Amino acid sequence: MISTTSLRQLLKHFASRNRLVLIPLVLVLLLAAVLLLLTEGLAYVAPFVYALF
Amino acid sequence: MSAVLGISAQSHDAAAALFVDGVLVAAMQEERCSRIKNDASLPIRAAAACLAWAKLEAGALDEVVFYENPYGKLERVLRAGLRELPASLRQLPRALAGQLASKVWVLDALAARLGVDRAKVTYREHHASHAASAFFLSPFERAAVLTVDAVGEEVTTALWLGEGSTLECLESIHFPHSLGLLYSALTAWLGFEVNEGEYKVMGLAAFGRPVFEAEVRKLISLESDGSFTLALEYFDSHTNTEVGFSKKLEALLGPRRPVERPWNLAESADDRRSADVAASLQLVLEQAMLGLARRAKAKTGADALCLAGGVALNAVANAALASSGLFSELFVQPAAGDAGAAIGAAALASVERGYRPRPMSTAALGPAVSGAVARSLAQALGLKVESVPDPTSSAAERIAKGDIVGWVNGRLELGPRALGQRSLLALPHPVEVKERINRVIKRREPFRPFAPSVLESQASRFFEPHAAHLARFMTTVAKVKDRARGSLEAVTHIDGTARLQTVLESSNFGHLINRVGDLTGLPVVLNTSLNGKGEPIVNTEADALAFFTTHPCDVMFIDDVMITR
Repeated sequence: MISTTSLRQLLKHFASRNRLVLIPLVLVLLLAAVLLLLTEGLAYVAPFVYALF
Repeated sequence: MSAVLGISAQSHDAAAALFVDGVLVAAMQEERCSRIKNDASLPIRAAAACLAWAKLEAGALDEVVFYENPYGKLERVLRAGLRELPASLRQLPRALAGQLASKVWVLDALAARLGVDRAKVTYREHHASHAASAFFLSPFERAAVLTVDAVGEEVTTALWLGEGSTLECLESIHFPHSLGLLYSALTAWLGFEVNEGEYKVMGLAAFGRPVFEAEVRKLISLESDGSFTLALEYFDSHTNTEVGFSKKLEALLGPRRPVERPWNLAESADDRRSADVAASLQLVLEQAMLGLARRAKAKTGADALCLAGGVALNAVANAALASSGLFSELFVQPAAGDAGAAIGAAALASVERGYRPRPMSTAALGPAVSGAVARSLAQALGLKVESVPDPTSSAAERIAKGDIVGWVNGRLELGPRALGQRSLLALPHPVEVKERINRVIKRREPFRPFAPSVLESQASRFFEPHAAHLARFMTTVAKVKDRARGSLEAVTHIDGTARLQTVLESSNFGHLINRVGDLTGLPVVLNTSLNGKGEPIVNTEADALAFFTTHPCDVMFIDDVMITR
């Protein structure tokens, strides 16, 4: 299970000035990862992924 | 009390290392437990073995340290993938999925699987871990440190200054410019497996002439300040992670050598050409390493040099550095690749807690074997078992008789080399011994050499001067003296060198070699790792017996038990 500590460390890492540009992409990817984890696989998320990419 | 567990994983060759009050009490690669060569999965079994050796529960650990920054690694994958769009379009989603599905959450996984509080799980940077594994385990108070590998988070090469309990990064070179990636790409081009076949390239190089130096120098530009840049059009790590080279490299050097095609250097012009490419690559690597060492000397003025990272396992390049005279002393610990970075990560945390590690004196840091266990297993298998009061003398007698002997004694060694704990031993002559072990027992490529282990006090009788701290861990090569070549023909490579190991007489392995010397007049044995083709070095009594029952070695000694068929 993902801990809040890791999430905080991840966001803190990307929050520095020269990495800010990557934050939107990281957030979208994180959302996709959370959806994948919650649904335990691609089957239910496939329509979302199709729309996103 | 301070107990710190270091962990390396997720790339290749995962390992765990345990420091208690600054003392490295145990270290082990996961592959030795899982029996999967270069196993990269979280080293939970290796960690459990380390804790068991120290009689500690996971809950007693003060800190668990991962050997790289998982968020920094995600950033590198993102940046490199975006930079290479659209070429990386197929590879990037896979790489990101791998990162976000598990790798970036590795600290959580470690906490959950080891059963420790997440707050106790930290990380150190990849190259800092490498540098610490070299400097804090070295015998030096002040040294330049070079860390050279494929890639960590972003850094591929770094120069450090180690002084007392401090380690300062002075300069670094970033991905994708990497000596490790250059060597790996050509390892794949030569038809070998990346992260495994690099040793074979080093051995093959001795059979060739560096006539393709100009071609290899097109792949890498070596600057006068020691830095380097790769000509990226020849590499393809963003779209082809299997081989890492592009079609342009094949246009330059010819088509890739087919994987697994048998080698025939005597009769195949293609194979001799491959050896020439390997020799050219090795030469250019040595030039690059010498450039880095000159820079290290100029920046630090240090007398000693420590090396770590996968490239530091190139014993031939290490010997070139030693003979350059730039530094009076060198140190490369036996697990200089990613496995050893687990030691470095834990060493950094130990130093921060006020415990500076002592110099590394042995690689025997894994679990020990028991004669009683071996006896009952061997009897169950219907093998002949005999207790021997003095196994070193008994094994020496069998070696002197010309037998090929499995030797399993004491604690398992860390690193890719067998150093006399889990070894296959034989006389260092005649050359047919090498043929028999290569072709029948280990089923390796015929060009691959075997190493000699010699008493440290006797090494100068047989070998030209060599770096003492490296020879103890088999991380260098030395010229075999002309007058010794006849008696060491099974362990002398085609170029007249040997990857020697010097052994202290006070150890069990030293006793054995000494006894072989008494019986034959030659205190030297052929020493190769005890493992079958494609397998990790044996760990337990059961692993050793599995090897014995499936390979034609003559006799097996496990602790104080002699086993025959």
